[in-house]
Amino acid sequence: MPAVSVENLTKVYGEDTVALDDVSFEVEDGEFLVVLGPSGAGKSTLLRILNGLTTPTEGRVEVGDEEITGRRSDIAMVFQLHYVIESLSAYRNALTGALSRASLLESLLTWYDEPDKRMALRALDTVGLLEAAEQRTGSMSGGQKQRVGIARALVQDPNLLLADEPVASLDPKAANQVMGYMRSAAKERDLTTIASLHQVNIAREFGDRFIGIRDGEVVFDGDHDDLTMDAVDEIYYESEEDAEGVLEA
Amino acid sequence: MSTEESHVDRMLERIEHHQRVRRILIAVGLLVLALVTAAGMTFIGFRLANLVREFPGFIESIWDFMPPNFVDFTLYSKEHYQYGQVAKLEDFYQPILMSFSNPSTFWTSIVEQEGLIGLSVITIAIGFCGTVLGFPLALIFGVLGSERVTPFPFNFLFRGAMSTIRAIPALVWVLVYIPLTGLGPVGALMAVATDTVGNLGRLFTDELEEIDDGPIEAVGSTGASGSQRVFFGMLSQVFTSFIAWTLYILEINVRIAVSLGVVGAGGIGQYINNRFFGFLEFSRGMAGILMVIVIVLSVEMVSSRLRARLRPSEHEQMTFFDHLKDLLTTSKWLGTGSGKRD
Repeated sequence: MPAVSVENLTKVYGEDTVALDDVSFEVEDGEFLVVLGPSGAGKSTLLRILNGLTTPTEGRVEVGDEEITGRRSDIAMVFQLHYVIESLSAYRNALTGALSRASLLESLLTWYDEPDKRMALRALDTVGLLEAAEQRTGSMSGGQKQRVGIARALVQDPNLLLADEPVASLDPKAANQVMGYMRSAAKERDLTTIASLHQVNIAREFGDRFIGIRDGEVVFDGDHDDLTMDAVDEIYYESEEDAEGVLEA
Repeated sequence: MSTEESHVDRMLERIEHHQRVRRILIAVGLLVLALVTAAGMTFIGFRLANLVREFPGFIESIWDFMPPNFVDFTLYSKEHYQYGQVAKLEDFYQPILMSFSNPSTFWTSIVEQEGLIGLSVITIAIGFCGTVLGFPLALIFGVLGSERVTPFPFNFLFRGAMSTIRAIPALVWVLVYIPLTGLGPVGALMAVATDTVGNLGRLFTDELEEIDDGPIEAVGSTGASGSQRVFFGMLSQVFTSFIAWTLYILEINVRIAVSLGVVGAGGIGQYINNRFFGFLEFSRGMAGILMVIVIVLSVEMVSSRLRARLRPSEHEQMTFFDHLKDLLTTSKWLGTGSGKRD
């Protein structure tokens, strides 16, 4: 049985802005799926629906045999701009992943259960930040903040990890490092992951399987061997003339 | 135990130790805060025993306010509603119903500046017009007070002017303006406008200090002049926040207008003062207090919905006519609009 099942997903904003048009695919348990596509293709809308942040106009999504109808603590998200709380340490940021398991008072006083505390430190260890656990995230680099964001997602102990262009704002070295940590964390935990990415080379390096979305429709679904230059052109350009025009320019 | 686990254990122990120290320091800090507060309260003569002793009398006096008497709701109710010596529940709703059965009285009350309706409009007008009159100077002082626009120490001329204005409360400004306008709504309007320059200007300055350098550099790199950099690189970034802060100050100004009325500057505040201290008509004074609550809540509701509509995602790429059409969308006023795209 697939870990994630997306069936005939359509999302229309307003009266006629179609963000997703009859999108269907399945993701196997432990698979690292990368969603590729140009800006405005519908990648973020897809991830927001998978995370229960947006309701689809039509269709359904099942994660772990249960339909998504709203936010779920077993689905974690890594955001493009990390959204860490800069006034808190990396450790306390990672612990916010355990908020759904703690009462308000416990979370305010950092009285989390022992296993949650250990999980936060292990997650920071996984992303190479154990020694910086007590450092304020406000003084960290963009790549480090994003790694804290990944640690926070891991502490949720999710069944599905989503990442919305997690390295879009990072330099190539930091981007590779962050993706490497995310990939190894997912593999260690056999965690199903869906990440939207812009950079095809990074996608190739870290993804198991790739889906291409253009104008809200799935135009590509395949593995490394299928993701040829022609396939990339098909994902990013309307026609061959467009692709050639860009190359000539 | 693996090396990784021992690292985690060591780190957990270190963090727990630091947290214990922090908790002790927080507890000591809270204790000091409690002691200083207790000393302050004792200094000004606060005695809990006195409050407990007077409490039953206080509750009894509150009952004198009930039920609120809305006989002064409009000119019509003022002239036609008869109420007796003993307060009745009808005094609360009958004058309101009576006024609604004769709607033209609302307009007459506003024009004549009579009744709770007319006086409420005076209060709202003082708050609104004071905000509008104060806005241009607040904008000029606020922008010039920012170190990003005017180099240090010259920006302190404007910052200093705003701090001086803020140091004097509106309640004092209205007294300062007495030789110019007398004690009344015009003086209150001037006081609110002056107060707006100090408060709104300061918010504008602070907002400008927080903006991104990127867009300013980008505009500068096009060869734009200094003033173009200010308008396109800086003010364009803070336009919506400036409007949001202005609406927030409008809310505060309407409250200030009520307080200015209490010291004799007209409007609903003066009505409340007269009922309580002039004529000892507490139930009619209570009706005035309820009107203040309605005014403040209405202004806050309209202002907060307007501010919600200023969020960029809600009206990107909309023309002026789209905005007008959009005003009819009830879901947006109620804050139940849809999310954003990709």
